[in-house]
Amino acid sequence: MAVQQQSSGKIKVSFKQAMGLLVPYVKDRLMAQVKSLWLIVLYLIFFQTIILGIPIAEASAIAAGLALVILGLMFYMEGLFLGIMPLGETIGVKLPQKSKLPVILLFSFILGVGVTMAEPAIGILKAAGSFVTPWDAPLLFLILNKYSSYLVYSVGVGVGCAVMFGMLRFMYNWSLKPFLFIGMAILIPASLYGLFEPNILYLSGVAWDCGAVTTGPVTVPLVLALGIGICRVVGRADSGASGFGVVSLASLFPILTVLILGYANLGSVPKVMEESDFFTAANREKAAALFTSVDDMNGYVLLNTGEATQLALFDNDKQKMLDYCAKVKADPALQTLIFGILPHAMEKWAATRGSAEQRLIVFGSEEKVREAIARYATVAQEPLFIGEILKRNTLAAIQAIMPLVIFLVLVLTLLLREKLPKADEIFLGILVALVGMTFFNIGIELGLAKLGNQAGQMLPSSFQAIPLQNEKKVIAQFDTSLVQNAVTSTGEKAQFFYAKRGEEYSPFPFHRESYDPATGQYVYVPTKGPLFNGMGGMLGILVVLAFAFIMGYGATLAEPALNALGQTVEELTVGTIKKFVIMQTVAVGVGMGLLMGLVKIIWDIPLMYLLVPPYIVVVTLTIFSKEDFTNISWDSGGVTTGPVTVPLVIAMGLGIGNQVGVVEGFGILALASVYPILTMLAVGIFLNRKSAAALKESAIETGKGGAL
Amino acid sequence: MNTAIPLRLITAIVDKNISSLVKLADMALHYGLNSMNIITGRVGMLQQRKGLLGFFAPGASLINESADIFMFLVAAGAEEACLGMLTDVCRLKKGGRATVFSEEVEQVRACEACGQVDGACSFSGEKAKTDAELMGICCIVQRGRGDDIARVTLETGTCVPSTFFGIGTGVRDKLGLLRVAISAEKEVIQAIASTYDAEMIMDMMIDAGKLDQPGNGFIYIHPLSRGIVNARVSTEAPRHAASMEQIISAIDELKSGFSWRSRGVAEKGAVGSRPYLSSLVGFMLFCDDGTSNDLVSAAMAAGAAGATINKMKLVHSGGADYRTLSPARELCSMIVGEKQVPVIVEALEKAGAFGDNGHAKILLRKVPKACTYLGK
Repeated sequence: MAVQQQSSGKIKVSFKQAMGLLVPYVKDRLMAQVKSLWLIVLYLIFFQTIILGIPIAEASAIAAGLALVILGLMFYMEGLFLGIMPLGETIGVKLPQKSKLPVILLFSFILGVGVTMAEPAIGILKAAGSFVTPWDAPLLFLILNKYSSYLVYSVGVGVGCAVMFGMLRFMYNWSLKPFLFIGMAILIPASLYGLFEPNILYLSGVAWDCGAVTTGPVTVPLVLALGIGICRVVGRADSGASGFGVVSLASLFPILTVLILGYANLGSVPKVMEESDFFTAANREKAAALFTSVDDMNGYVLLNTGEATQLALFDNDKQKMLDYCAKVKADPALQTLIFGILPHAMEKWAATRGSAEQRLIVFGSEEKVREAIARYATVAQEPLFIGEILKRNTLAAIQAIMPLVIFLVLVLTLLLREKLPKADEIFLGILVALVGMTFFNIGIELGLAKLGNQAGQMLPSSFQAIPLQNEKKVIAQFDTSLVQNAVTSTGEKAQFFYAKRGEEYSPFPFHRESYDPATGQYVYVPTKGPLFNGMGGMLGILVVLAFAFIMGYGATLAEPALNALGQTVEELTVGTIKKFVIMQTVAVGVGMGLLMGLVKIIWDIPLMYLLVPPYIVVVTLTIFSKEDFTNISWDSGGVTTGPVTVPLVIAMGLGIGNQVGVVEGFGILALASVYPILTMLAVGIFLNRKSAAALKESAIETGKGGAL
Repeated sequence: MNTAIPLRLITAIVDKNISSLVKLADMALHYGLNSMNIITGRVGMLQQRKGLLGFFAPGASLINESADIFMFLVAAGAEEACLGMLTDVCRLKKGGRATVFSEEVEQVRACEACGQVDGACSFSGEKAKTDAELMGICCIVQRGRGDDIARVTLETGTCVPSTFFGIGTGVRDKLGLLRVAISAEKEVIQAIASTYDAEMIMDMMIDAGKLDQPGNGFIYIHPLSRGIVNARVSTEAPRHAASMEQIISAIDELKSGFSWRSRGVAEKGAVGSRPYLSSLVGFMLFCDDGTSNDLVSAAMAAGAAGATINKMKLVHSGGADYRTLSPARELCSMIVGEKQVPVIVEALEKAGAFGDNGHAKILLRKVPKACTYLGK
């Protein structure tokens, strides 16, 4: 408010003055991100080094990665508030004034499909489903592999419908509640049917996760801003903090569309059965339907199953199987189809997983087999290609942001014939968002995901012994005469040997199957844990659950979409609902959700047992909640699982899932999005106690007056 | 289109729970008003800290509730009926529900669609019991510092202030893209007080917000014609048969005015020692959403120092004229010298403010006293 400034035109600013303005500006924003990220980072480091007692591998790369995450978040958030959100809001304000309803709906649908295509969550789902085998969950396997493009399309259609109905809601001032009640009334029974049909059981995990992962860091702010813009020109006078609710719908509709996709394909997939039965001649025709071709199926079996299953596929005719291996070896195109494009993939497979006969076919002679085994036995550290990482992430960021932005700018200029207000600021914002997302993705890949992976893989060691695959060692000339006998308390014999590692001599258990008499090699994998053996193993599990809770809490505080939501809510309610309250409430909810997710994995409880009760509570709370808090709460559930939480959740889920041997790791994300709704609704009801009292007072008077 | 008839701008600040319950906007339209602007804001109240928190940090915390701020322009003749309507619809007789005030404004220029003024309000019920001799206090500070200022009026028991968000423009917009480094987000605090208290409270607010220091904000007072004060400054349950606010309002009624409340000159402290600005005009430019940037730049080129822009929603009866207006409107408030007004209006005219590029309307309110950092 400088009154003295009377001149017009631009002010010339010296470099020093510019720095004087920029430094505090950048510093504030940097500190904000440091504040949101320090908890999760320190916690992961503390947990891994102090509690699990494992040094952090690749510490310098991780540190650089974390710095990039902070920088990336800073740039990205600023880009959102400067560029992407104002653009969305401008369109929201202009669209209802300048175009007819069908155009608005078409625009909304295209936008919904577009945001899904731009932020494909399929990678996340594939990672979560990497253990899924065709015999355990045929339908899930089909949808994640052969039909993965249909999965993306159905999620896209779901989000498209969600945005469309979201806009209709705003235009006609419909409440969100009927959508939620009807949605739950369809989704819960459709998923509960899974208790009778295992195929649906596994599919429903993916479906509910789809709802959670579709709404990413570009979608949420854009859709929020659009909704707020629209609400500024349509709807009632007292609609207040409206503009929310689209994200909620965008979490519900994809569940529905994915379930529909699943039910539509239910008839064409085989039943869940034993691995050995799956590929027998009787079932083969239906099994083949899960794969794109017979070669694809044969390749999957060679790569992922043991000899018994392989033989089942080739009619228990060993020669037929070996002939097929020889055919693959001779045909480079087929080899690429099955083993991928990496060089020597088939050799590596044969050396590490193949049977003796298969190795002989691949390598030709016993001598070569021995060499190859020695070569592939040690796990090579994959080198980092900075250039490649930079290129890939830049492309991903451009793909996530640019098509949407271009679409929006085209709609604004060509369809609405409006000029872009503060165009320079918006373009700067978009540029900053691009840079931010690139940095952020690289940082996640190099830093946070790695840190999460390390902690996640080691996590089960707190309650059970886990093999440390990274420290696998091969003793080339093992002398079996060194093996000694020991006795257990029950009198059984156990074999062990001493090994010298560095300057230390330590005993190792001897497993005969790890010794290859032909090559004289002994492969041993050191184990770790259980670290917390108290209370019959429960202590270790409690440590893991506490880890999950704090990790969920910490990671959520750094989520960009949630930050954008919190900021928007605070802005629209003029500070009566504080961003701080929203962030904390949602973070506690996500922590609870992850905890329940681990409960599901550790004890292998069907997802629906864990998902339905909280949803029933949530629906009940919704009945008693005010409309604005209903919208904000359900939206919070949709925004929680973003680019910070998901890699950590996946790492943790896979780490634990690997050790306890589960079919699939789905459902954690779904659980992580229901509990925040619950906590938010509860806080909303708590905050509204006084307002409710005021309302009641007025209602009594209104009754007396009877003038209305 | 300089209107000759005297006009009143009526502002009603109502708790959102109440305004949505009684459907205030619909009721106003029902009683014959044609249009109003609505801003979302918040109203604060003091709550004594209790339990452990109260033990370690005694005192009162400020709690905020959402509020709707309704603004509508009527002919002076309809003022009384409008105030009566608001009192009746919002049940204001009980006190502590809303702040309502009307003030004399001048409409200098308006586009055809928004130039019409509501001449009458069909409400014919009981007349509202209103106070005269009131002064509005309006204060603009950086976002996040509004509560410090709002506390002042609450702690003196004067009134419940309302706060709403705005975007400031000024020097910032002359910096090119570097402007993004300066936060433009403001909070506007609107309070009302008796004419006798207003200057003292303004001074206390200046102290609380250090408004006479550079970059801290701007404060001004504007005379009101009539008003209903919301004096429920605390959530506390009454300890006596009547609350202090009720007692004060009873004495107000007995003495028929606030003049008995005026404190001695000695208590006013440093009044007079500050350099104040005087004889200014509050220049209120109502325009379509998105056009404020261009219009404020034009006004600034013509000499205005800066503006605070608030987003509003226009609610109207659906008449053909109103349909050309965007429901998303903006209010740009500027404080300018009396002599600058014609120049700025002309500049706005040139910028097309009163045509399709803005559908603007300009109202002027008198600002007898203002304070900000004036430079050395």
